[in-house]
Amino acid sequence: MFHILLALADKERHGYHIMREVEERTGGNVKLGPGTLYGSIKRMIGDGLIEELEERPAPDVDDERRRYYRLTDFGYRVASAEAQRLEHLVRSARAKKLLPRTKAG
Amino acid sequence: MNKTFAKDSKVFLSIYSILLLAYPREFRREYGPQMVLLLLDCQRDTRNRSARVRLWLHTLLDLFRTVPGEHLQNIRKETQFMSRIRTDLVAIGGCVLLIIIAMLLLNYGRSHQVSSILFFGYVLDAIAFTGIVGNLIVFLLVKLTRLRSLRVALWTFLIVSVVLLLAAIAIAGRVDPNFNATSVVIGYIVSFFFWYGLHWLWAQKLKPSEIT
Repeated sequence: MFHILLALADKERHGYHIMREVEERTGGNVKLGPGTLYGSIKRMIGDGLIEELEERPAPDVDDERRRYYRLTDFGYRVASAEAQRLEHLVRSARAKKLLPRTKAG
Repeated sequence: MNKTFAKDSKVFLSIYSILLLAYPREFRREYGPQMVLLLLDCQRDTRNRSARVRLWLHTLLDLFRTVPGEHLQNIRKETQFMSRIRTDLVAIGGCVLLIIIAMLLLNYGRSHQVSSILFFGYVLDAIAFTGIVGNLIVFLLVKLTRLRSLRVALWTFLIVSVVLLLAAIAIAGRVDPNFNATSVVIGYIVSFFFWYGLHWLWAQKLKPSEIT
């Protein structure tokens, strides 16, 4: 779910774009199938994390059957909170020397 | 892309469209066309036959893995809906029963001049009137808005009690020469705590099931 939130953090995307973004970002480790992707989208819409855009793309630009999704304000806050939680975990792991220190840190 | 390659892709897309029937109807209607479109995009992206076969296997595995989950979610949603209806019916039935008991007691006390019942007459009166108006407003507000039920109950019973009390003082105070304002005030205070207390108890009872 966090992968999808992250994919939508910078701009609205349709299903295929979300899938590609997640796959590229994880180096092919996370591959979302159609059922997993749209099952998650359904639940995330239900939870108010993301919403479907009402506008459809113009037929000459993209397939007009496509549906675009974007983060809601609540979804943005949840993604941000989760990112902070993960950052905190990484900092703790670094402090315990489980990760190499960065130049800045 | 050779012809057999394109034909195979078309055949798999048709098979996948049929396999989508395994999903719950609502889910299929909402997302089925998007899932087919997604697969079409993925197929367009694959460069060779082995990559496409891997895609098909991955898609089939994904379908078999997610179909039971979607059905389970549907069942859970239906169960929750039924359980909510049952809870609502119990709450409404309880309120109606309490109001009827208060009115019957009051009627019995008045017609048979039972002093012990008449002593609590003002309270029973207030419980019946506040119960009818207040519970109706609370029920509608909780069902139509996303407000928290206990807070709605607190403010509704407070406002309804004050309004009914003022109305009683304004109307009965002028018409009835034996009107006792202090008893009416006490009656409405008791009735407020009675109804709000019941709602508070009900909310405490529902808490564990809400968590699960």
